[in-house]
Amino acid sequence: MSIDNGKFSGDARAKGKALSGRLRWTIFLRSLSLQASWNGQRMQNLGLLTVMLPWVRSQPRELNSDRVFCRRYYEFFNTNPYLANYLIGGLIRLEEERVDRGTDAPDPTGSFRDSLGRAFASLGDQLFWLGIRPALVMGTCLLALEGQAGAILAVVGIFAALQLGLRWRSLGRGYELGMDIVDLLGNPRWHRAILFARVSGAVATGLVAGWYLYHPTDMGLAGERTLPWIGLCVGWTMPALLRKRLPGEGLLVLAAFLVLVMAFAI
Amino acid sequence: MSVLSGSMVVVSAVSYAPFIATTVAGEASWPSLFFLSLLGGFLALDDTALAQTWFSQPLAAGALAGIFCGDPAAGLAVGLLVQLVKVGDLPVGQSFTGEPAVPVVAAIGGVVLGGHRLALPFQNASLDSVALTGWVVLGVGLLSAVGHWIVQAERRAHVLWMLQGHLTLRDGALGRIERLHFRCLASTFLRGFIFCSLFLLLFLRLWVPAFEYLPVRARDAMAMLPLILPGLGIGALVDRFGLGNCWHWLTGGAVLSFALSRFLL
Repeated sequence: MSIDNGKFSGDARAKGKALSGRLRWTIFLRSLSLQASWNGQRMQNLGLLTVMLPWVRSQPRELNSDRVFCRRYYEFFNTNPYLANYLIGGLIRLEEERVDRGTDAPDPTGSFRDSLGRAFASLGDQLFWLGIRPALVMGTCLLALEGQAGAILAVVGIFAALQLGLRWRSLGRGYELGMDIVDLLGNPRWHRAILFARVSGAVATGLVAGWYLYHPTDMGLAGERTLPWIGLCVGWTMPALLRKRLPGEGLLVLAAFLVLVMAFAI
Repeated sequence: MSVLSGSMVVVSAVSYAPFIATTVAGEASWPSLFFLSLLGGFLALDDTALAQTWFSQPLAAGALAGIFCGDPAAGLAVGLLVQLVKVGDLPVGQSFTGEPAVPVVAAIGGVVLGGHRLALPFQNASLDSVALTGWVVLGVGLLSAVGHWIVQAERRAHVLWMLQGHLTLRDGALGRIERLHFRCLASTFLRGFIFCSLFLLLFLRLWVPAFEYLPVRARDAMAMLPLILPGLGIGALVDRFGLGNCWHWLTGGAVLSFALSRFLL
């Protein structure tokens, strides 16, 4: 197999290779703890190396090659944990092909890991943290307003099962595709999924806001019916006024300050 | 294998929580403190270190702790308010802020095992129980900020451990890399377990009893807190979405909610 302009000329998929069952399980389970040793200097490097070690052990061992392998994977690495297995599967495929070619051949794994790591990080953050999370959280908040604790756990459980399924499948898919994962990134379905998740999140946020404003309270506090509106306006305008977004804890302290002023002033 | 056994314990803990709850609910006994701290430890793992199933989101954590303690409504009251105020935060890499899951579990344990009741203002609840909810949520917020510094300290320890792994680049001992990684995993669990125990005792013995000594005006302020917090969180999320991009979806959702509340539910 030869390399032409950074792409393998051999058809990787035509070989129909798949990870062996036991190795796939071990790598999958370890991949769940990819972020366990997250550090500010090299982020997920130790996690990625720990995930890759079962594959290293499945190969013929030699001290120098082990050291070189660790050295190559001890560099900075960061990606989205939910989509990381595409990359991990692809890296294992490239490492196997590297062994087949011999170690003197040009090594594309470093640039593959860095460039796709960033691409999956961006895609995963848009899809999971800015899309699915607000939608799911607001959906569960609606259930909480109706007092459905069991339903909340069921919804989160379904999400957990689906994301574990995605991680399992993406490990195999990444291995099948190898370098061709790049084509997967260009699939417009990712962007449709992000848009759908964001729209769902916005609708669910509207539903919670509507519920919250429609259900007035009657606790005998002065100005209590205007408080939800004050909260909405302050929460929305605060980032523009401060030119930064306050974390949740900051919002809570701000709210405590506001209500103390109101309670003592009114 | 450690990861496999860890995952299995998480699943078992979630599955058996209602069973355990029937044996320890409503009692501030050592077994109940131990099991709640265990839950805190597993949720600390779930937050970023292991699997990220979102059971460590404040609302799900609150529901779990509430069911465990035998008072799901208390879990929902605290979990909902903390969840709404945290929903605009982006828990990614270095922008990670706060550590709400452990204080939420500790707060619900401290309140329910102490024999108190919590409620949201929309549930025709008494002023005192709503004010206590506001007071407890304020405590959760402050401890979550403390948790942030503890997480940062743990991550600094991860840097030191990661640098220890450089020895493997010289001697090729792969087992060292795995031991360092699993040490990080264990330290996260222990952090959750230990701080959940400490926060639980803090809520049980100090924060909740202190509510009795608040002046009337301060209690009124705490009763207002659950009314203003959801708006702040929703407003912050709307800012993150960008009102210009999604005002029609937000308005559509709000109108649908009005219509459902008025005509159907």
